[in-house]
Amino acid sequence: MTKKNKQNLWQYRRARPFSQTARFVLLALVVAGVVSIFQLADWWFREEHIGSLALYIMLSFIFWYGMLRVILYWINYLGIKRPDIPAPEPDKSVAIFTTSSPGEPLSMFDKTLEACANITYPHTTYLLDDTQDPRFKEVAEKHGAVWLELVGLPGAKAGKVNKALELTDEEFILILDPDHIPFPNFLDNTLGYFKNEKTGFVQVSQAYYNQYRSFTAAAAAEQTYHFYGPTMMGMYGYGNAVAIGANCTFRRKALESIGGHGIGLAEDLITSIRLHGAGWKSVFNPVVVSRGLVPEDFGSFCKQQLKWARGVHEVLFSEVPKLFKKLTFWQKLSYSAIGSYYLVGATSFFYFLIPYLFFWMGFLPAKMHFADFILNVFPVGVFALAIYLFVQNWLSHPATERGVHWRGMVLKFASWPVFFLGFLLSVVNAEIPYIPTAKKAETGKMSPFARPLIIQLFIFLITFGYVIFKRRYITPESELFLSSEQTWGMMFFALVAVIMTIGGILAARESIKLTSEEAWETVDLENINKENKTEYIFDKKVLLG
Amino acid sequence: MNTKLIRLTSTIAAIALGVFLINAFTLLGNKSKGPIEDLFVQTGSYITSIEGYFINKSNKKKRSKSMRWLNVYKKDISQLKNPDRILLGAYDNQSKENFQPVIQLENSLNTQFSIIHIYAAWGDKSEQRFPLTRVNAINELGSVPIITWEPWLTDFDDDLHSHLKEKESRSKNGLKDISEGSYDFYLEKWVHDLKLFEQPLFIRMGHEMNDPYRYPWGPHNNEPAHFIAAWKHIVDYFRNAGIDNVIWVWSPHIAYGLFEQYYPGDEYVDWIGVGTLNYGTVATWSQWWTFDEIFGIHYEELNQFNKPIMATEFGSLAVGGDRVKWYKDAFCEFPEKYPELKSMLFFHFNNDNTLTYKTLDWYFVGDTLITNSIVDCINNWAVE
Repeated sequence: MTKKNKQNLWQYRRARPFSQTARFVLLALVVAGVVSIFQLADWWFREEHIGSLALYIMLSFIFWYGMLRVILYWINYLGIKRPDIPAPEPDKSVAIFTTSSPGEPLSMFDKTLEACANITYPHTTYLLDDTQDPRFKEVAEKHGAVWLELVGLPGAKAGKVNKALELTDEEFILILDPDHIPFPNFLDNTLGYFKNEKTGFVQVSQAYYNQYRSFTAAAAAEQTYHFYGPTMMGMYGYGNAVAIGANCTFRRKALESIGGHGIGLAEDLITSIRLHGAGWKSVFNPVVVSRGLVPEDFGSFCKQQLKWARGVHEVLFSEVPKLFKKLTFWQKLSYSAIGSYYLVGATSFFYFLIPYLFFWMGFLPAKMHFADFILNVFPVGVFALAIYLFVQNWLSHPATERGVHWRGMVLKFASWPVFFLGFLLSVVNAEIPYIPTAKKAETGKMSPFARPLIIQLFIFLITFGYVIFKRRYITPESELFLSSEQTWGMMFFALVAVIMTIGGILAARESIKLTSEEAWETVDLENINKENKTEYIFDKKVLLG
Repeated sequence: MNTKLIRLTSTIAAIALGVFLINAFTLLGNKSKGPIEDLFVQTGSYITSIEGYFINKSNKKKRSKSMRWLNVYKKDISQLKNPDRILLGAYDNQSKENFQPVIQLENSLNTQFSIIHIYAAWGDKSEQRFPLTRVNAINELGSVPIITWEPWLTDFDDDLHSHLKEKESRSKNGLKDISEGSYDFYLEKWVHDLKLFEQPLFIRMGHEMNDPYRYPWGPHNNEPAHFIAAWKHIVDYFRNAGIDNVIWVWSPHIAYGLFEQYYPGDEYVDWIGVGTLNYGTVATWSQWWTFDEIFGIHYEELNQFNKPIMATEFGSLAVGGDRVKWYKDAFCEFPEKYPELKSMLFFHFNNDNTLTYKTLDWYFVGDTLITNSIVDCINNWAVE
């Protein structure tokens, strides 16, 4: 296969199976990693390391919360499982729901609906429309889709889906994000699992085709690669594959058993936890059978993240406790972990604060030698990296998704104000309006989400100036040399955070200049590899023919 | 059944492999600990000197400017080994994060300390490496550092140094082990960092080695000959590594005698150091002794080695006598009475619980009666 072919996005992809040998290697790495974390803990919790006690406790809490999450990730990877793909039973009735809202570009629907029409398994496509724009009806009809006008319903997408459920009667429903272009064999990869009467929904990988358009897009896509690969495969292995993001196929009976699709900012996740609570099983099939859009500009990315942060906390605060008893152990763990993902905003805020507390108020949380810290963290870092790179073998499309994902990390850190805001909003239970994820880059001016980052940069510069001034004119000579290492070590710590922040600011700046392109225009549906490469079990004939 | 067995064995094998990996890694980590630490020490030292260059260079009130007279001595180490004037100095326990307390003390005495005294213990921890930051700071202030270097051998980790004896029995004949090279790994680290400090400094290793009650390197654990062997080994190790800026201070306990048995030889010793602390009546074993009673009666015995003498810990508590008089008598008279006593280091420790159950306070910086009388003494020497 040529390199170009390997990187071809419009080609059916499936993650490789997880062999016993792989499990063996991963287990060895995880054991080594966990031991290294214990060694780190042994060094961390020493009396001589306590600076200001309250801050030390807080720092320890945050740091070890992070470590705990790392261990959870590793344990999750040990469960990696790739399901076989059963061939679908013939003649099932299937609906595809896709929604349109005011402001969404018409041409995108032209493309998506055409792609839906190309899906080979017999189905009916419905456009759930509240644009009140007659052209949408025309486009739907042009591609043989049923146009449903559903105006003035609550809960944006979910409200329309629930109304459409009342108006239709298909046994299975694929809810497709309108920016996602499905491959012809989409349903062949999901319907077979419903042979098991207990299967409530089937989630597939979420993949993109515009991640090359900007730093933000690349970074945002990088943040999801592991999730729609080894992470979800592990969750499936432990019986808690969740419905998240785009393109989940549901059993009507399952949705009806929980009173319809969940409504909220993280509506997929709400639906998912309720279905699990009602006893339905779920499948994650690690295949690329559609590609969609990832936010290209910093502002849209932040809006999306704010929405998710707020929505996901909502699941943590209101759904998890309600359904707690009905969930399995791994489901409890998994929903709690997903629900608290965005706490990283609060913890980043604290990390960011440490040097400033030191410079302006003299507080020092921990008296640790920097060299000792590095030496003790180093093994954890090495094993974490080894595990990270090893599980990339089970990405849905390793050729384009592999890497250390530094852009994703920079963007994640630079998003702390957004995550933090989402966290605060959920703590006080305040609403943010439903913001649809932008389909086109929002360009022309600096995103307001970059403001906290610019403020952070200024605080750093002011502090830097203050420290220089203080040490030049105020600090006595007798103290200067003894405090030199500590002072500049802290400054370095602050600088690392600021460099990450600058990454965010640059991403926001790049976003100003982005040309607003309609990415879907360049997609040629003819180029989607129509050959059904789905490797069914049971039914070799389909595979061959 | 068979698959179960395979799964079980492979799981156990994987766990074993994991444990092996981490052990191999830890070993590697321990091996690289030295170099990585070295790197950090070097970086820290560069940062300090860069900051010194940019921030402290133009400081008009630099202490080192007024200490310029000492440069003659610092540039020629033989002058420090046999000075033609009295070198004053101090240790202050409050000077961990800044040397301001030492500066305050010298200001109160209207003098300048040529020497600043610090303590360092042997061991694996970062703070048990050569205190490069602190000696650099002392040098930048214009003074010469003295390090009292205490061989606490049990501070070395068993896991890191499998060749060392069990901790329980390590102190027994510990000096012999030093002399045989068991602790060269540690000397090597000191040598590495010492090379980054090109200025003269005093090292007072294994002090009070003749006191059978106190430190593990005392006669209850070691033969006198082993002390000498250990001392020579260390000095030779440093010299062979090209270190020529160390002035070696041999420092027996003044009251326990047997100096001859512990003296490593003229080639290996530059100064004689003795503690001269008056504990007054704080403990059953102590009583009020004057400086003459503590130091004077042993002066001739110490003087036979023909080396300059340093009172490495000089001070008095206030309980049981007249502390002002103690300082005044000791300080005004010693240059005349004991001409070879060439250096006095004040022991300024306000929180001393190293020897008694009570916390002892050797501070006198706020006692103007004492400080003024010392100032008078110093002025009188100058007249002479």
